[in-house]
Amino acid sequence: MIERDRQLRNLTYRRFVELGRAPSLAELAGELGIEPDDLAASWRRLHDEHALVLDPDGEIRMAAPFSAVLTPYGVRAAGRSWFANCAWDAFGVCAALGTDGEISSACPDCGEPIEIAFREGRADPDEHVVHLLVPAARWWDDIAFT
Amino acid sequence: MERWLGGREPGATISAGKTCELAISWWSDRLDPDWRPRPSDESQAILDRLGLVGEFWRLP
Repeated sequence: MIERDRQLRNLTYRRFVELGRAPSLAELAGELGIEPDDLAASWRRLHDEHALVLDPDGEIRMAAPFSAVLTPYGVRAAGRSWFANCAWDAFGVCAALGTDGEISSACPDCGEPIEIAFREGRADPDEHVVHLLVPAARWWDDIAFT
Repeated sequence: MERWLGGREPGATISAGKTCELAISWWSDRLDPDWRPRPSDESQAILDRLGLVGEFWRLP
């Protein structure tokens, strides 16, 4: 990874957390005083290296574990509401922020609401299970589906 | 689980507690100011250490 790309990746993540949402390409380029095309090229390389996930328009779709779009995995942590990409990432939002949190989701089979707290690194309650459908070797074949 | 799978090939089922452990090991560094990409062998080591072993958990 190019050092400049690594720095821009870290700035993108930092801005995501400061804003509580994904920064747009134009917004972040403006704040950094760089050409949007330069940032777009950096984000594209980061996407190709699995450090970010872009949508078809070249905007942030995922800064894992954070999701830039509404998902069935809501997280309340650090005084904000977030969306995670999956159940694993929902705990990951709390882990990345280094704080406790509350996760709201629903059973993908029956639709029953699920509320789980992340407290001091533990799930409460711990009675639920998570099913990962896609093997690790194919996680990045279609990361949105994974 | 079978009903939800609806004929799809099953993957891996882990407890919420194990998912929590995995999330902490996998994601805790994501906002570090000095974050660097994690080499694949280190990611695999995380899975192995948590007992997530076998073909399903084998990274490319």
